[in-house]
Amino acid sequence: MRAPEGGAFLRRLRASRRERSGRARKLRGLLELLRPYRGRVLLLLACLPVATAAALAPPYLLGRAIDDGVRAGSTRVLGVIVAVFVAAAVVNWGATYAQTYLVNWVGQRALQDLRSRIFAHLQRLSIGFYSRNRAGVLISRITNDVQALDQLVTDGVQTLFASTLTLIGTAAILLFLDAELALVTFLVFPVLALGSIAFRIASSEAYRLTREKVAWVTAYLQETISGVRVVRAFGQEGRHEQRFAELNDDNRQANMRTVNLNAAYFPSVELLSAVATAAILLYGGRQALAGDGVTIGVLASFVFYLNSFFDPIQQLSQLYTTYQAGMAALDKVFELLDEEPDLVEAPGAVELPRVRGEIRFEDVSFGYGGEDGALALGDVDLTIPPGQTVALVGATGAGKSTFAKLVARFYDPIRGRVLVDEHDLREVTQRSLRSQLGIVPQEGYLFSGTVRDNIAFGRPDATEDEIVAAATAVGADDLIAGLPEGYDTPVGERGGHLSAGQRQLVAFARAAAADPRILVLDEATANVDVRTEARIERGLRRLLAGRTAIVIAHRLSTIRRAGRILVLEDGRVVEDGAHEELIEAGGAYARLYLDWAEEAVG
Amino acid sequence: MQTFWRLLGFLRPYRGGVAASLGLATAAMGTGVLIPFLVGRAIDTVRRGEPRLWPLAAVIVAAGVLRLVFSVVRRLVAGRVSLGVEYDLRNRLYAHLQSLELGFFDSQQTGQLMSRATVDLQSVRFFLGYGLVFIMQSLVTILVAAAVMVVVDPLLAALALAPVPAVIWAAGRYGRLNRPASQEVQQRLAELTAEAEENISGVRVVKAFAQEARQLARFRGAVARVFAQSMVSTRLRAFYNPLIAFLPQLGLAALLLAGGSQAISGRITIGEFVAFYGYVVMLVGPMRMLGVALGMAQRAVASGARVFEILDREPRIVSPPDAPPLPPGGGRVELREVEAGFGEAATATPVLRGVDLTVEAGRSVALVGATGSGKTTLVGLLPRLYDASAGSVLIDGADVRSVDLPSLRSEIAFVSDDPFLFSASLRENIAYARPEASEEEVRQAARRAGIDDFVEGLPEGYETRVGERGLTLSGGQRQRVAIARALIGNPRILILDDATSSVDATTEARIGQALREVMRGRTTFVIAHRMSTIALADEVVILEDGRVTARGEHAELLERSELYREIAERGRGRPDRVLLAREELEPEAAGL
Repeated sequence: MRAPEGGAFLRRLRASRRERSGRARKLRGLLELLRPYRGRVLLLLACLPVATAAALAPPYLLGRAIDDGVRAGSTRVLGVIVAVFVAAAVVNWGATYAQTYLVNWVGQRALQDLRSRIFAHLQRLSIGFYSRNRAGVLISRITNDVQALDQLVTDGVQTLFASTLTLIGTAAILLFLDAELALVTFLVFPVLALGSIAFRIASSEAYRLTREKVAWVTAYLQETISGVRVVRAFGQEGRHEQRFAELNDDNRQANMRTVNLNAAYFPSVELLSAVATAAILLYGGRQALAGDGVTIGVLASFVFYLNSFFDPIQQLSQLYTTYQAGMAALDKVFELLDEEPDLVEAPGAVELPRVRGEIRFEDVSFGYGGEDGALALGDVDLTIPPGQTVALVGATGAGKSTFAKLVARFYDPIRGRVLVDEHDLREVTQRSLRSQLGIVPQEGYLFSGTVRDNIAFGRPDATEDEIVAAATAVGADDLIAGLPEGYDTPVGERGGHLSAGQRQLVAFARAAAADPRILVLDEATANVDVRTEARIERGLRRLLAGRTAIVIAHRLSTIRRAGRILVLEDGRVVEDGAHEELIEAGGAYARLYLDWAEEAVG
Repeated sequence: MQTFWRLLGFLRPYRGGVAASLGLATAAMGTGVLIPFLVGRAIDTVRRGEPRLWPLAAVIVAAGVLRLVFSVVRRLVAGRVSLGVEYDLRNRLYAHLQSLELGFFDSQQTGQLMSRATVDLQSVRFFLGYGLVFIMQSLVTILVAAAVMVVVDPLLAALALAPVPAVIWAAGRYGRLNRPASQEVQQRLAELTAEAEENISGVRVVKAFAQEARQLARFRGAVARVFAQSMVSTRLRAFYNPLIAFLPQLGLAALLLAGGSQAISGRITIGEFVAFYGYVVMLVGPMRMLGVALGMAQRAVASGARVFEILDREPRIVSPPDAPPLPPGGGRVELREVEAGFGEAATATPVLRGVDLTVEAGRSVALVGATGSGKTTLVGLLPRLYDASAGSVLIDGADVRSVDLPSLRSEIAFVSDDPFLFSASLRENIAYARPEASEEEVRQAARRAGIDDFVEGLPEGYETRVGERGLTLSGGQRQRVAIARALIGNPRILILDDATSSVDATTEARIGQALREVMRGRTTFVIAHRMSTIALADEVVILEDGRVTARGEHAELLERSELYREIAERGRGRPDRVLLAREELEPEAAGL
């Protein structure tokens, strides 16, 4: 398989570059997350100057110890200075503790809120969105990208404030100690600033590339794990290993650039520090010799402040990398959060009252490409009375699934209206609609948990009796009783511990437990073997009883059993009637039926 | 500790680089130590009132330049080592995952596996790539500075270095406490990932049942668990990291007091005093870094243990060394007394209990049986997706376990009920088993699977991308692509596992025609529930409760097997009552 380098991907990449423009808004969005924790943020802001002041004390105290203690020959003064020194260290410890704890508490809490927000937002997006986006990428938004923000909001925020305060504090102390010597020291500043900016620009692009490459590696890994069955069955492991190694190597190459840049930058800053030390000694030494107010103690203080002067600058420039990574993640997170749900609840959407189950299509047209694309369903106009079972018949792609999805409001029609009991689906709350609508998808997707959890999925408050009754109704009861732990048997990820037939039966029971007025069945009987299916057919009859049902079925028995058959061709309803009527009419259905009958006999 | 040494083993190929970066770090630190020494000399020079500061300043700059050279080279070398380790580790894990059999994946959650391959791998590579360098560099600095100090003044050195054991103790204690805490964070993050994965994959069901609110509540629960645990970890960090920074300050204070007193009494000069202070200051950073890096090491060991759990999982399905390729033949399949279970727990109740079955080359059999009767397990034994727990499976006279695995699998093609397609073009998906297949071969396979019209009607034809980022295919279309994929390798044995389940009757009729043709001359196993598909096979094998209970041709079985009769009747479409639900309210349903 080729690398994920399709046109769509590149387009999205370019779009994400454009995205960066709205960063101020996104940072505000991030700050917004902190709002509920204002109190702790203020406390944190109070701790920072205390910790910084305590951390800045030692070089100054060293200078005083030299001048007032050693050179003055006073052991007592020396003792007092040492006591202050220890006290400062203790304060620094305490304040740093509070600062670390608070910054992590607030940061982590905000990110957890963000995770929940992304998750909630994902839930609001339509099925259409999920068919356009890879599951792996969406998962990565919640996990990896939020993790990348972690660095920014915890370490990043702490570094930003602490380093800035340290810089300002150091500059102030140096100016206080000796303004002239301080200005000489500050001369290295423009050099350092220019170098740092150049480094930033080069490295931000390099880091962006590394993130992109590692995302490809992860996506490839994810896909080949999901498709492991195919990989094994066709024995293509070697090829995947080779391709993976190529992607892995791309990732290494991208990282190599960041290594090279770091190797050039950080040692250069150290060199600058040595040069500045030499300058201080030279200039300050001459001043001292000239008796110009600079004492040996001040000279020593200056030399040691130089350490705490370069550290914050280095940390701040490193912070830029964190910022870049965090912002890239933030861009991606916001790209997702900015995705407007295309099925929005109308303002003032009403609760759908308990329905009788009449479904009406009023000149409904729908296309997956929106207004301009090809129509998947065109000008459908019909009414399904409450309790009727309707079988949708037609070739693959004729519009059967689309029809069913419109009933479930997985999509909204581009023209016309879909109504349930005279309520336009767009004007009722999705929740109230879906609580009266059961859907049995083609693949009986189950959630990890027990059989019981899955049956009660649509109605978490269901009693034990109701769960068993639902299972019994679809003929799954004895099958479930035969499982190792009965209703408490874990079904595994996606129901993987159960067979396809068992999954299907549990999915039926799940639909039955929800007791919907309207049922949408999508090729539901396709994967089940004869014995299980016989049970399902029985259960299905009971399930359909008294409910309006839209069934996409290819099986003759199901189609014939339906009260009404809709024959679809190229998105249009070409025939509509009961089995006998359609046979008599001698149209498309009659021809199809003859084909099937012939085949069944043959 | 064992995990730790094993992690270090990943550095073995880079011994040279590791040694070089260690040497360069020592050299850089050596020149670094010169600077406080020279500062001390300069201060004494000033104190004595001598104006000759130029030479000292020049030497400081020279030392700085030398340190720059050492540092740049060290970073380049160490960076390459760390990227190399990361590259190796990833490849090794991936290759290992590729060597594991299907049963392993059946028993693992994808989210958990992904988490090990990404999150855990990351903390391991951070440690091997950077953390270890920090530790070595810090140790070198401490040793070099300590050596210089001891030479200059043993008493002051002893005082200044007194906190070092305490720092190491604190760092060690921090690591011990934090390790289980951070391990638990990783575990909970993995659970969170699994939760997200499941909800995103199952979004249709969540929406269908309007359970968004409850799933969100569940997710929030997982999120809160991560938060609670990371706070446990944070509290430890918030206490120990500043403690580790605090302890060296005590050394400085002691030095200030003792060194200051000595300077007052004239035993040492002020310059020597300042230089000493400089050495100890040089130690503070590395000591703190040592604590951080040790924490990293702890995390890496926790993650490493989880990565090793995968790496240590022996592949259970491998070909013996120097296994011969599958001998030539027509695809005669023989199962002798085969017992088999499913997935990891091969000892659990076997799905197959003593299956004897011979299928002559080129013949086709339909496997028919209830859900759970072992049909899928049986066919999975042929390409060794699973191994039998007892008995043997022979293809053209060779036990499948004795022959070369790739040669075996290249002769068997599989079409399953829910085929997985890769995010790649249709051409690449069809040519999956034989990437070198020509355009014409791909076209032909598509034609035989009855998907050519559909594909050629697409704007981009065979270059259309499918999968999660491409075109969404219906179940039936995917199955036909999968059939084309199976045909391209011209396999000796073809397995159709419910391969026509998702296609409608019209399409099935068309595929049936194609299948009949492609089955000719190949041994074929057909698992099907539809009579029309079953009818494709020469004969029918009935599986019940993991045993073959009947076998024969269609007519024969109609008489002998009750189960088969049942199926056949349905297949013939016995007159069903037309269900008009309004008229047919059944009492059982009302009880729901």
